Amino acid sequence: MDFRQARIFRGRIFRLIALLLFGILLVNLLVLTVFQHEYYSDRALENRQVRFRVPAPRGRITDRAGVPLADNTFHSDITVAASHLRDGEPDSVLAQLMRWFDLPEAETIAGLEQQRPRRGGRLVLVRGADLGKLTAVEERRSSLPGVQVESRWRRRYLHGELMAHVIGYTGEVSPDELRDADPDLDYRQGDSIGRQGVEAAFETRLRGRSGVKLEEINATGRIVGRESVWLRPVVPGRDVALTLALPLQTAMDSLMDGRRGCGVALAVPSGEVLAAVSKPSFDANLLTAAISPQRWQELRDDPAKPFFNRIVQATYPPASLYKAVTSLAGLRRGVVDTSSVLEPCPGGYQFGNRWFRCWKRDGHGVLDHAGALAHSCDVFYYQLGLRLELADLESAARAFGLGERVAGIYPGEARGNIPTDEWYDRRLGSGQWTRGVMLNNAIGQGEILTTPLQMALLAARLAAPGEVPGPTFVLGQQPAVPAEELPFDPAHLDWIRRALRQVVDAGTGGAARLAGVSVAGKTGTAENPHGEDHAWFMCFAPAEDPEVAVAVILENAGHGGAEAAPIAGAWLNEFFRWRGRPDGAERSLP
Amino acid sequence: MSLWCWLWPRGDRRILAAYLVLIVFSLALLWSVTEPLTGPYAKMRVDVPKAIFWRQVVWVVLAWIAIGVVSRFSLNDLENVSWPAYLGVCALLVAVLGLGPEVAGARRWLVLGNLRLQPSEFAKVAMVILMASWLGRRAEDGSRMTATLGSLVLALVPAILVLREPDLGTSLVFLAIWLGMIFWYGISGLLLLTAISSAASAVIMFYSDRILEQPWPWAVYLLATMGVLYLVRAGLAASGLVLGANIGAGLGIPLVWSRLQPYQQERILSFFEPSKNEYGTAYQAIQSKVAIGSGGLFGTHYLQGTQKGLAFLPERHSDFIFSVAGEELGLLGAGTMLVVFGLLVLRAIDVATEVRRPFASLLAVGIASYFTFHVVVNVSITTGLLPVTGLPLPLISYGGSNLLTSSLMVGLLLNLSVHRYDD
Repeated sequence: MDFRQARIFRGRIFRLIALLLFGILLVNLLVLTVFQHEYYSDRALENRQVRFRVPAPRGRITDRAGVPLADNTFHSDITVAASHLRDGEPDSVLAQLMRWFDLPEAETIAGLEQQRPRRGGRLVLVRGADLGKLTAVEERRSSLPGVQVESRWRRRYLHGELMAHVIGYTGEVSPDELRDADPDLDYRQGDSIGRQGVEAAFETRLRGRSGVKLEEINATGRIVGRESVWLRPVVPGRDVALTLALPLQTAMDSLMDGRRGCGVALAVPSGEVLAAVSKPSFDANLLTAAISPQRWQELRDDPAKPFFNRIVQATYPPASLYKAVTSLAGLRRGVVDTSSVLEPCPGGYQFGNRWFRCWKRDGHGVLDHAGALAHSCDVFYYQLGLRLELADLESAARAFGLGERVAGIYPGEARGNIPTDEWYDRRLGSGQWTRGVMLNNAIGQGEILTTPLQMALLAARLAAPGEVPGPTFVLGQQPAVPAEELPFDPAHLDWIRRALRQVVDAGTGGAARLAGVSVAGKTGTAENPHGEDHAWFMCFAPAEDPEVAVAVILENAGHGGAEAAPIAGAWLNEFFRWRGRPDGAERSLP
Repeated sequence: MSLWCWLWPRGDRRILAAYLVLIVFSLALLWSVTEPLTGPYAKMRVDVPKAIFWRQVVWVVLAWIAIGVVSRFSLNDLENVSWPAYLGVCALLVAVLGLGPEVAGARRWLVLGNLRLQPSEFAKVAMVILMASWLGRRAEDGSRMTATLGSLVLALVPAILVLREPDLGTSLVFLAIWLGMIFWYGISGLLLLTAISSAASAVIMFYSDRILEQPWPWAVYLLATMGVLYLVRAGLAASGLVLGANIGAGLGIPLVWSRLQPYQQERILSFFEPSKNEYGTAYQAIQSKVAIGSGGLFGTHYLQGTQKGLAFLPERHSDFIFSVAGEELGLLGAGTMLVVFGLLVLRAIDVATEVRRPFASLLAVGIASYFTFHVVVNVSITTGLLPVTGLPLPLISYGGSNLLTSSLMVGLLLNLSVHRYDD
C-alpha cells in the first residue's frame, strides 16, 4: 500500500530530524554545563554575593582636655536598587514609596538619576529617614523587594556655633572631589569629607578606612546569608585633640557676644591656640545635613559674613599695635634710643603740603619714646618713620611672622600685606609715591594689612622673644613657622616689654588691667574708610613671666582702648581663674 | 476486571516507563522549587508556595486516571468524537477571549471556581485527533489538495484564536503539529522546500532589517536560493514558486512585525542583542543560562541551587523548570530528562510506522510532533537558543491543563500501541 510504504521512508526522516534536534539540545547543554561551567558559576556567584562597604566612623575632635567637640551619630537612609528606576520611569515599588513619603515626583526622580552609579549600585531615596519612615519600610519588607535601610555615620558638632571656624565642617563629597581624590583614600558617593578648618586639614587622620563585607543576597537585593565575611576590617578614624580649651573658648565667645570681630589667645611660649573666636558664627551642623537652599542663601548673603573666618581670613591695618614693631625697627637702626624725645606733638604733623593728624586732636605735647608708645602718640611715630626705610619696618615685621601664613592649616588663610619699595612701585608706579607713605606705615595704617592671628603671634613673640613658633590648633601639630631668634637687641626687647606694661598700667590700655596680675598690651584703632574704625587690642600676661598672649579686634567699634581692651582683660581674668593664679611654680597649662 | 487493572494502563511498557520517569522528575523539581534553599542561608519565605506541589500531585492522579481511560478507548469511538471535541474546544477558545480574566495583558484561562483551565492546551489534543481523522480518510484516495488545505484550515483556526489571547508560543504549536502530520501524510518536496525556505527568508529578512539594518544578508540568501534552484535543475514554474514565496515572506515580515505586541517585539529583539537590556526581557534568558551553566556536570545538589533558591531564576516552576533541573541535577539529570523525552518521541515514531490504520499512524505522528516541538522549543529557550516565549515543558512544568493534555497524548499513544495490528 502506497501510504504504508512511504511511511517507512518518512519515518526515517522524522527520526533523523528528531535525533538531530535532540542532539543539538544535548550538545548545547554539554557546552553550557561543561565548557562554560566556570563562567556561569562565577556569574551565579556574582548574582548572590555583594560587597558592602562599611564606612568608618570619623575620628572625634576634642578640646585640649579631651572634652568632645565633634562626634558622630548613626543615621539611616532608605535606599532602593537601581533597577527600580528604568529610563527615568519609577517601577510600582518606587512609585508607591514616593506616594507614602509624599516626595515630589519629578525632583526625586531627577535626584535619583543623578546618583545612578554602576550596575548593581543602590540609590538613596530618603536621607536620614525618621523612625516613622523606617518603621513603614520595615513593616512592609516583603512587599518592597529591593528596598533597604542603610545606616551611615553623620558628623555632629556639640558646640556648633562656638567652634565652627576653627573646626570647620564636613560635607558630602562632590563629584569633582571624587574625581580628583587619591584612590587610596577610597572616597565614594555619599561619603563625608572635611570641608574647612581642622576637619579639612586633618582629613586623612580623621577619616579612617572603610571596611568591606561580603554578603549573600537574593534576587530582590535582600541579605539572606547567615553570616557575613569581612574582606577588610573597618579602621575607625583617629581622634584629633585641639589646643583650644572649651572653657576659654566659651569665655571669649560670650565676651564677644553680639559683636563683630575676632578674639585669639595663644599659650606662651608654645604658640598653642587656647581660644579663637570669629563673630558672627554659624552652626556647623547645618552644613553636615542637607541645608535648604533658602537657609544657605540667607547665611551666604548675610552682610555680617558669618562664614568668614576672621581668625585667619580677615585682614585689617594693625594700626597702633604696629608701633611696637616701628619702635624696635627704630632702635635697631639706631635712629632713636629708648629715651629719645622728638619734636613735641601739637595734635598733628606737617609733611609736605599735607597735615597728618594725631589721634589726639589737642596733642600730646612732649613725650619720650616710652611715653609715646604708652599714649600711642602718632606724631612721635611720624617722625620716627621718616628716619626709617620701608625695608627696616618690613624686616622687623617679618621677624614677628607678619605677612606670612602663620597657621598653615587653613586653605583660605591670608598673608596680609607688609609693603616694600617694590610693592609701592608695582602698585603705584615707580616714582609715583613719596616718603609720605612712611608716616602711615610707621603707625600701622594705610596699606599694611594683618590678620588677628598674626597680631596674637606678635603679642606672643614680644612676650617671649625667640621662643614662640607659629600658632597651632591641634596638639602635637607641627607649627607652620618655627620659633626663631628675634633680630633685635635683648635690651631693646626688655625695654619694649616694660613700655607695653606701661600702656596698661598708665596709658591707653587701662581697661585690660587685672587685679594681681600684671598685663602688658597695646591698643589700636584701625582707620576704616568704609565706616566706623576697628578697635584693636593685643596683650600678654603676666607681664614679667608671660603665659598667654591675646589679640582682639572689634569691627566698627571705635577705640581699641575703650572697646577691645576690656574684652581682653575680662578674658585674661577667666584664663587665670581656669589656670589657677600664677604662683611661679606651676608652668604647665591644664 | 479488577480496579487495579483499570488503574494500570495497557500498552507499550517503554512509553509508560518514560512517562513515569518524567512525572517523577516533575514532582521532584516542583518539590525543590517550593522548598527553602538549604545551605548557609537565613530562613526565608519561598516565593513559590508549597501548594503548587500538592496541586500538581492532584493533577498527576487525575492524569493517571485519564490515561487509563484513554488507553482503552476504541479508535472508532475516537474518530467519532473528533469533530464535537474540536468544535467544543474552539468554542472554549472563543469564550476565553470574551470571558477569561486578563492576566498581564493576556486572556488565556477559563476560571471555574477554584479551577483554572487553559483551553488552548486541550485544543492541541482535539486538533491532533481531528487532523489525523481528516488526513487518514484521504490517505488512500487522490484528494491531496482537499487534505492539505483542509488540514491547514483545521490548524489555523485554533492557532489564530490562540494568537489573539495573545500567546504566540502556543499558537505556533498548532502549526508545528500540522507540519509534522502533513509531512507524514505526504507533501511534495517542492511545497516543503517552498515552506521551509520561505521561513528562512523571513528570519533572515528580519535579521537584516531590524538588527543589522543592512539589506545584504537577505540579498545574499536570495542569491544562494537561486543557486540551489539552478543546481537541482528546478523547472521555471517551480523556481518561480519558490522565489516568489521567498520574496513574499521576506517582504511580509516587516508587516507582521508591526502587528506584534510591544512585549513580543522586545523579547525577539532582546534575543538577538541580550546585552542591550540586562534587566529587561533578556534577564530571564541570562539567568536561565547562568542556572544551567553553574550546575555543571552533576549539579549544585538537590535543593541547593542558588539561582532557584534566591529567586534569580524567573518562572522556575513553569516555563523555566528545565533550568532548575540543569542547576540542581546538572548535565546528568537534565540530560537524562532530554534522553527520556527523545526515547518517547522515537517510540511514538515507531508506533506511527508500525500501526496499520492511517488514522492511527497520523495520530501517533501528531503526538510525536507535539512532544518534539514543545521540548525542543522550551529547552532551546532555557538554554538561550531561541527568544523567550511562554511555552511549558510538557509533563514537567507546573500546570494542570498541560499535564492533562500531555498525559492524554501519552494515553493515546499507549492505546495505539495496543491496537497496532487493527485494520
